[in-house]
Amino acid sequence: MKLSVSKDEIQEKLSNIQNIVEKRNTMPILSHFFLDAGKKGSYIVATDLETAIKEPIEMKVEKEGKLCIPARKLFEIVREIEGELLFESVDEQWLKVKAGTSDFRLACLPPSEFPAWPLMEDVEEMTIDAGMLMEMIEKTIYSAGESDTRYTLNGLLFHTRPQDTAITVVGTDGHRLALIVKQMESEIKNEKKIIVPRKAVSELRRFLSKDDEKVKIVIGKNHLLFRVADVEFLTRLIEGTYPNYEHVIPQGNEKKVLMKRETFTKALRRVSVMSRERANAVRFDFDESASGGNLIISSSNPDIGEAREEVAVDYKGDKLSMGFNARYLLDSLGVMSSENIVLELQDPLSPVLMREEGNEDYRCVVMPMRI
Amino acid sequence: MAAVTSKTILCVDMDAFFASVEQQTNPKLRGKPIAVIGSGGRTVVTTRSYEARKYGVKTGMNVYEAKRLCPHIIFVIGDNEKYTHTCRELTKIYSQFTPDFEIYSVDEAFLDLTTTHHLFGGSESIGKSIKQAIKDKFGINCTVGIGPDILLAKLASDLGKPDGIKWIKPEDVESDLKDLPVKELWGIGSKIADRLALLGIKTCEELGRAPSSLLRNKFGIYGETLKAMGMGICNRPIQTKPEDAKSIGHSMTLPKDIWERKEIKAYLLMLSEMVGRRARKHRYMGRTIALVIRYTDFETFSKQGTVSDFTNDTHVIYEKALKMLDGIKLKDKIRLLGVCLSSLINDPHQIPLVEEERKRKSILQAMDYVNDKYGEFKLTWGSYIMQERDAGVISPSWKPSGVKSVNVK
Repeated sequence: MKLSVSKDEIQEKLSNIQNIVEKRNTMPILSHFFLDAGKKGSYIVATDLETAIKEPIEMKVEKEGKLCIPARKLFEIVREIEGELLFESVDEQWLKVKAGTSDFRLACLPPSEFPAWPLMEDVEEMTIDAGMLMEMIEKTIYSAGESDTRYTLNGLLFHTRPQDTAITVVGTDGHRLALIVKQMESEIKNEKKIIVPRKAVSELRRFLSKDDEKVKIVIGKNHLLFRVADVEFLTRLIEGTYPNYEHVIPQGNEKKVLMKRETFTKALRRVSVMSRERANAVRFDFDESASGGNLIISSSNPDIGEAREEVAVDYKGDKLSMGFNARYLLDSLGVMSSENIVLELQDPLSPVLMREEGNEDYRCVVMPMRI
Repeated sequence: MAAVTSKTILCVDMDAFFASVEQQTNPKLRGKPIAVIGSGGRTVVTTRSYEARKYGVKTGMNVYEAKRLCPHIIFVIGDNEKYTHTCRELTKIYSQFTPDFEIYSVDEAFLDLTTTHHLFGGSESIGKSIKQAIKDKFGINCTVGIGPDILLAKLASDLGKPDGIKWIKPEDVESDLKDLPVKELWGIGSKIADRLALLGIKTCEELGRAPSSLLRNKFGIYGETLKAMGMGICNRPIQTKPEDAKSIGHSMTLPKDIWERKEIKAYLLMLSEMVGRRARKHRYMGRTIALVIRYTDFETFSKQGTVSDFTNDTHVIYEKALKMLDGIKLKDKIRLLGVCLSSLINDPHQIPLVEEERKRKSILQAMDYVNDKYGEFKLTWGSYIMQERDAGVISPSWKPSGVKSVNVK
């Protein structure tokens, strides 16, 4: 193998795979990426056996070849170097890297050791705009679980129903849930519920920067493949049954509160400063007849002190007091953009629905705390 | 220079507490060598009466060793309820003399008399009144030690045993500590004493005079504390309120060594329930779960792991403990098992979103309610019922309130 590549090109491609390559030394091959340098086109592959990325790379290839190169080490070298890099393999164990006045020799592994790209059979496909997919991920990923023993919660549910040509994405950690529905064209004939690991979805985001780019989604039995431009992003699916999210979403909450998103967010953030040590517990008191603001947000911590803030909201109904984990509300508010938001409440122990005013497609459910 | 402090601390230390209580409740045992033991086949002596001490019977000996030293020794199976009841009643006596007292363990208490001693004719007179009140009410003896801090009050009570009263006054500290071996001090065990001896330090005076740098070098930050102790200074304040718990754990020596996974699982469930229940009762949740295993040969180790969310759910604790057990290749039979929950927070009472989990929480609540009313393990899981359970004697760190107030049979 003999080739040259620009610093910018290889730095960008290597930074895309840094979170996928293995950092712990459990399987050395997984800390390497696979380079296939061909005169008609070159690409690199990285995998952690759960997720795999295959991306093209622009190279001037003089002599074709394949090699497994340590991803972290090469990335560190590239960052320090200026100008163009020259790669020349010595054999299947060593790679010489030259740039300007520098000379490196890098220990490599033979290409035959790299895990094979999984075969996908009986696939079904659909196409979605990158911008839309990005929005769906951003608005749900924060509420998914992390290393939860209920392992299906550590992913996002993608639910497609052919009859209404919509795709629903859901994330929940067992205390709150976020759900977004988008209309789309798909050729998928049967209802599909697949659970995509959180880490994979999170990594996928870096390839979705161009809004109107088309993303092809290929659904297999155990794997899911996203194709964006020439990049292929493959992930294993989480097996198991996702909780029935439709059951969890409150349907007929009677008390509706309309409020300014920004005012509410800022007030909530201020009050929760005093409750960080106590699971971010804040108290909401709604009172229609109050003279000042008809929502009082408060928190108290016997060791630290108290906070209280009045917020003017549009609320009609009986007095109501309930507790929340402020972080759950703030996470959802952080991805909302409308001027006003709506809270739909029932009683102090029932789930609360939060959404943007005039938007029925994105719904957040938060379970209260007992106060 | 001895410690100059304006505090007056009184230490009440019950004499052979469990044994005395037993002798008091059963007159036939009075004046005889007795030892309080647990009910299992492999229990050890937890307390022995003064009569048994004459024969050299020591705490921690098994029944065979005790019997060899004192053939006519009488073994009494510990009755935890008697001891915890007595301990709770004792607090009523202490509270007559000061509101600031700490139940340090089931048989030791510290009273801060700094602000109240003059109301009752001085601290020595209070000591006598407490001794008399305990004798009148329970018929058992205790030793009272008085000193300017808890270290010296405890030392005074140790020196005054049995049935004594001793006061180490601030002006006498220097002379009282002069030739006292370091291991007499509360908090210096034989291991630290041995390490000090290697430095040529045998008495408290030598410890107090030892250069800080030397002690720091050998014992790290604890070196400073040791030096202060040698001078009779102890800065630990009396804890009048129960401390915030740092961990909640239970361990038990099993009635017999076990190897079968099925048996281990049943005990793990039981320990997890004890831990979960205590956490729920005191409104704690934790994220870190530790599993403790002691093999037949007493080799002990623990493994710990973190769960994704704060919990006090018996099953989450159990599942995690079980998962850690799965990661261990047992090299021998198991003698002792323990489960511990740490990284605690106060339960924020977050309601789960999913119906099944709300139900699970309700079930635990209902079980707790029944067991609060009718006693521990009255309502429990089928897989636990198979197990026999011996009553151990309570841990000396038992306290009448707070998270260390463990319910006992």
